[in-house]
Amino acid sequence: MAGQHLTTAVVGSYSMPGWLERAKNDYLRRRITAHDLDEMHDTAVKAAIKDQEVAGIDIVSDGELRRDNMIDYFAMRLPGVEIDRTSKTSYYDFYESVVRGRMPMAPLGLVEHYRFLRRFTDHRTKVSVTGPHSLVKRIRNEHYPSEEAFAMEIARIMNLELRELVRAGAEQIQIDEPYYSGFPEDLPWGVRAVNALVENVDARLSLHVCYGNRYGKPSWEGSYRYLFPAILEARIDQVTLEFARRGSEDLRLFKEFDAPFTLGLGVIDVKTHDVETPAVVAERIREALAILPTERLSVNPDCGLLHLPREIAFAKLCAMVEGTQLVRREISG
Amino acid sequence: MIIHVNFLPKPGDTGASEVIASLAGLLDQGRLDGEVLSRLRLHLDWLQYKANFREPITVRHATGARGEPTALAELAIDVRRARPERLGDELAHAIASVGAVEHEVAGRAVLEDWAPLSRSAIWQFNRLFWQRLVDWERQTGRGFEAALPSGRSDANHPAAVADAVADFWTLLVELDKRGQLPQEIFALEIGVGPGTRAGLWLDRFKALDEARATGFYPRLRFLLADYSMPTLDRAHRAVEAHRDVVSTIATDALNPMRALSFLRYKILYVHLTNVYDNLPVDELVRRDGQLYLVETRAYLPEPASTAIAQAFGVGPSEQPATVGRLLEAGPDLFGDRERGVAFWRAVWDGVCLEERLRRLEGIADVPLPPGLDGTDLEELLTTAPADIRFHLSGGAVESFMNTVPLLHPRGYLQVQDIFVATMDEYRQGFRGPGKLDGSVVNWVNGPLLRVVGARAGYDVHFAPFRYRPGSRTTILYTTLRE
Ligand SMILES: C[S@@+](CC[C@H](N)C(=O)[O-])C[C@H]1O[C@@H](n2cnc3c(N)ncnc32)[C@H](O)[C@@H]1O
Repeated sequence: MAGQHLTTAVVGSYSMPGWLERAKNDYLRRRITAHDLDEMHDTAVKAAIKDQEVAGIDIVSDGELRRDNMIDYFAMRLPGVEIDRTSKTSYYDFYESVVRGRMPMAPLGLVEHYRFLRRFTDHRTKVSVTGPHSLVKRIRNEHYPSEEAFAMEIARIMNLELRELVRAGAEQIQIDEPYYSGFPEDLPWGVRAVNALVENVDARLSLHVCYGNRYGKPSWEGSYRYLFPAILEARIDQVTLEFARRGSEDLRLFKEFDAPFTLGLGVIDVKTHDVETPAVVAERIREALAILPTERLSVNPDCGLLHLPREIAFAKLCAMVEGTQLVRREISG
Repeated sequence: MIIHVNFLPKPGDTGASEVIASLAGLLDQGRLDGEVLSRLRLHLDWLQYKANFREPITVRHATGARGEPTALAELAIDVRRARPERLGDELAHAIASVGAVEHEVAGRAVLEDWAPLSRSAIWQFNRLFWQRLVDWERQTGRGFEAALPSGRSDANHPAAVADAVADFWTLLVELDKRGQLPQEIFALEIGVGPGTRAGLWLDRFKALDEARATGFYPRLRFLLADYSMPTLDRAHRAVEAHRDVVSTIATDALNPMRALSFLRYKILYVHLTNVYDNLPVDELVRRDGQLYLVETRAYLPEPASTAIAQAFGVGPSEQPATVGRLLEAGPDLFGDRERGVAFWRAVWDGVCLEERLRRLEGIADVPLPPGLDGTDLEELLTTAPADIRFHLSGGAVESFMNTVPLLHPRGYLQVQDIFVATMDEYRQGFRGPGKLDGSVVNWVNGPLLRVVGARAGYDVHFAPFRYRPGSRTTILYTTLRE
């Protein structure tokens, strides 16, 4: 059935409500308790799930609304990372964090949040984790001899967690590595770290590489050409890339190189409030179909929807699903 | 009574003793009610802009959230201009109006209804000035820059321009080294005035590029932006030598994204000098823990109104309508442009702002510009003096928010202007609005831009303009917030 192809998914984060931002800051400033904040997180996650379901997304996430940002959620959970709790008063900032000795093995506790997601949806689900390359760019290393060694250690520890997630039922796991685009020269070891991270992780694995979405703006500019051919060594099932904002030029890389993975095609620009029409989405998919067959393509926004107002994020997801359906109908004739 | 001394007095020039003595005299003569005095706040100012919108003695009433009168009243005195020999009578006159509901001062020609400062007609005057600069300057016989306190613009200081070029060129070299320099190198100046700075900058950039053989100049795309067509034309002529790399764009500084959205994330350098100080602003006041919004209405005081009536045959009652026509259609009044411009100048010269304070029930009632979050303003206020009057620089915030999306991920914004660096500085002086030739000038709230920048992903820094001793200019520049 053609509908099985062109699966729609989110990249991870969903619109962060203003009230939740305020609550996170209030929590940091000791104005509300962890219990209150947890309750708000649960509520926000349920609402995010519902929005994705109503929009018709096939593979939903928990909206990553429990996370302060893509680094701290992991830095705070990784064993052996020292966090200076006084180093931020605004939740979205990064904590000062440092590793001063060998990191022990210990669970990160992601499974509990996965189970919550699982309990509140019948849709397929996806869990995203920040990759080792991005984490070593933000956590200060005072112990390991190189960034690569540090990244391999993080990969080794997080590998156990990913296996735990699989045991708990996770079928789709995504690794986010936005910092690749800022440090293309690191790619060979960045890919080795991803491979260590996913070793014997029996799930559908995707690797998301964008040009950054910090504060809702790109952190770098350039071409995905830097990913090739090193990325071909990654033992993953899919790469998820941004094309809506940057244009489709880099699609031809998939013509030039015989990639062993499928493509998660970014069709929604998450950096503008202009909502795409389904027709625009469909056109973006058709352009990709000129290069890749349907079974090697799935559909997603360019990146997380974190910085968009809820009504815009929701409208964009709806447009994405409708646009995908247009193409599915054309294919199934 | 609470006395606010809102400036840093030099010995012997507070003027406070005369004011207090006059008030005491009025009390003794039974011309001042003790009740009124006890609730009065007396503000002693020393207005920096000789040309401004205040009479030497003014009264401000406060109203409740629904416009109902309240006990708070402020008496504000410009000690620079108040004349000691007339102080007693003028104070008595002003105080007589305290407590009077809907008090109208006889002889004034009121030009508009009450509204927040940012919606005052003075902004229409400001716009008119830039649109019809040529007419204005023909009559005054001097250029805008001559009206600046130093007689020239800090925009054009050669050493400052050279440093700005060197910084930019260094960025280009770094990007180039990493293979990240775009083929087309976009730079933008907004509010270009006569184009002098743009010309100097381009000369300098070209020279540096040629000396170092970096080959950047031919790849440069320099955009001159302004909302005034005559200004753009003039500026374009000033950069004639660089015509191959220059284009002009008519755009409002409040929203450069509208005209330039095709350059989103592409511009490596955006510069503005003395534009933020020229954009609409509101003012907030906190007294006794309550927040107030300053509402104003423009009027012509009796002497100005009378003089205009005599010179132009437009009586006080017709003045509001004639001024309305001027602001809508320009100075082609009376079938004689020269006379129209003269009328315009006379009105501008005389126009004052009456002020009142409207109580806000909470932060949610503040007219926040997009990009400024109420909680951030609340946070700013927790560190600000308890009694404060400060700028809500809405125009500057709006401009900033609609400019940064144009920046390339490694690009930066540079703004030379008069910034208030800390909320505490608002204790120390009147910060506008003032008149500069036919335009409005205002200090810009730096801390506000800092919080707005942080939310947009930029650290906002302020560096002193060290190129001209005594300059009040500060250089704002952004760096990426990681
Ligand atoms: C005070 S002059 C400064 C000129 C020059 N940058 C300098 O410092 O010498 C302000 C300039 O900004 C322009 N301007 C003022 N408000 C503007 C707006 N809202 N949009 C675009 N340009 C504006 C005026 O036309 C004028 O060219």
